[in-house]
Amino acid sequence: MSGILASMIDGLLIGSVYGLAAMGLSLIWGVMDVINLTHGSMIALGMFGMYLLFSATASNAYFLLAPLIVVGLVLGIIVYWLAVNWVVDRPILMSLLSTFAVNMVVIGLGTAIWSTSPYNVNFSVPGITVGEYTFTGNHIAAASSAVVIALLLELFLRRTRAGKAIRAVADNRAAAELMGISSTRVLMVAFAIGIALAMASGALVSTLFPFTILSGAGYQLKSFVVTVLAGLGKPFGALIAGVLLGLLEGAVSPFIAVSWIPLIEFGLFVVVLIAFPRGIFGKATA
Amino acid sequence: MTALLEVQGVSKRFGGLQAVGDVSFTLQEGEILGLIGPNGAGKTTLFNLVNGVYKTDTGSIIFSGKNITGRSPDQVVHLGLARTHQIVRPLNGMSVLENVIVGACYGREYQSLRAARATALEVLEQVGMASRANSPAHSLTLAFKKRLEVARALAARPKLLLLDEVLAGLNPTEIAQMIDLIRKIRDSGVSVFMIEHVMQAIMNLSDRILVLNLGHKIAEAPPAEVVKNPDVVEAYLGFPDIVDKLRGAS
Repeated sequence: MSGILASMIDGLLIGSVYGLAAMGLSLIWGVMDVINLTHGSMIALGMFGMYLLFSATASNAYFLLAPLIVVGLVLGIIVYWLAVNWVVDRPILMSLLSTFAVNMVVIGLGTAIWSTSPYNVNFSVPGITVGEYTFTGNHIAAASSAVVIALLLELFLRRTRAGKAIRAVADNRAAAELMGISSTRVLMVAFAIGIALAMASGALVSTLFPFTILSGAGYQLKSFVVTVLAGLGKPFGALIAGVLLGLLEGAVSPFIAVSWIPLIEFGLFVVVLIAFPRGIFGKATA
Repeated sequence: MTALLEVQGVSKRFGGLQAVGDVSFTLQEGEILGLIGPNGAGKTTLFNLVNGVYKTDTGSIIFSGKNITGRSPDQVVHLGLARTHQIVRPLNGMSVLENVIVGACYGREYQSLRAARATALEVLEQVGMASRANSPAHSLTLAFKKRLEVARALAARPKLLLLDEVLAGLNPTEIAQMIDLIRKIRDSGVSVFMIEHVMQAIMNLSDRILVLNLGHKIAEAPPAEVVKNPDVVEAYLGFPDIVDKLRGAS
């Protein structure tokens, strides 16, 4: 019995990292109605960014999140001007294709540089032992980092001028422009934050499991499930939904083979889409 | 008096429809200028040209001495030209206060959050919504949503306020309150350019009235003259000699 409890706690910890990744996807969708298919490749870049920085500095991996987030913001601005600004107001297929193209370019370059063989970040935080179970220190550190970043984002969105502008544009872009907000600038900032969140979550995952340049794809799919669970465009809801998804994984994993987990997750995805089309945190009326 | 807004020969065509054709007028500082015309006359299109939602095909728009032709809506707000919308557009996910704070933050004065909060509270007091500051914007009645639109525009500290049918859908009491509010806004030094279908209100409020029909200006005069103008009567009622006919009948 306590085996499943330990597994669920572990799932909860990893789930907060899923949640952080999904926040990035959700923020971009909420603000500009773009489904960002670069998400997976940016998660992978976060993993390799962590690998490179950690190899170069050998410092505490979790302190390296700050410079990686800065890199993510810059990269997000570049990708926004290259591939997103032109297609924001076009039919959604256009932004799907253009972000998918960036995804393929990044994966292609990444494969050329790092091949598709696995890498890992050799850093560990001492674990905590409770009775007969030990919780890995890295899981706890990654989960705490994810929650701290998520809270900082929420504070930024609620308590700063720029954050209020982002929420105003997400709420009603035309109204926001009439109020003097330059929506192009806001879209760029929101996209950059979304990419930085994806990279940060990739960096956190890299301290937990081995990874390849293709590993982002799986987390991208989980982000979709989490985002739909939370209701599109609800970043903080995404964190909570991520934790729930992790909890579910933890609860079922002692009983079934790991390869069945995606089946359960996507089964849940379909059920949620049918039963709660606006997500579990979505309101019935806009 | 000096001209705050000078519109010179602006036109806008949508496909085969000449929505606004060669319209010129000026708005003096401290004035309330009314804009009337039958449905489809191009009133809202003219507003959209003035505040930059649409780009003009021809003509120029000078606001407060600056040529603002081709500037985007957010840029003209920074110069002091704010607007409310015919169909209310509150930021539904935010409180009333937060809506107005955003308006102040990104208005003419680019206020800091702290200053914006003070401005927002002051403006909410002015429009009579102080007690609802913390209500969610989506929970308001239409009358309050319209006042919120006005509050948000005022928070930007405009020199000129464009009001697009702020009286539509209000009951007589609410109309009286809104008219009172518009007068107070003008008395506080903000010029007003307003589209309105409630004739009694616009005749009472406006210093001058601009009349559009089929995209063209057919009159620009004080209210008392406008109602006697045969072109205006024809545009509204369809008979060039309706006045004489009605007189003859009585």
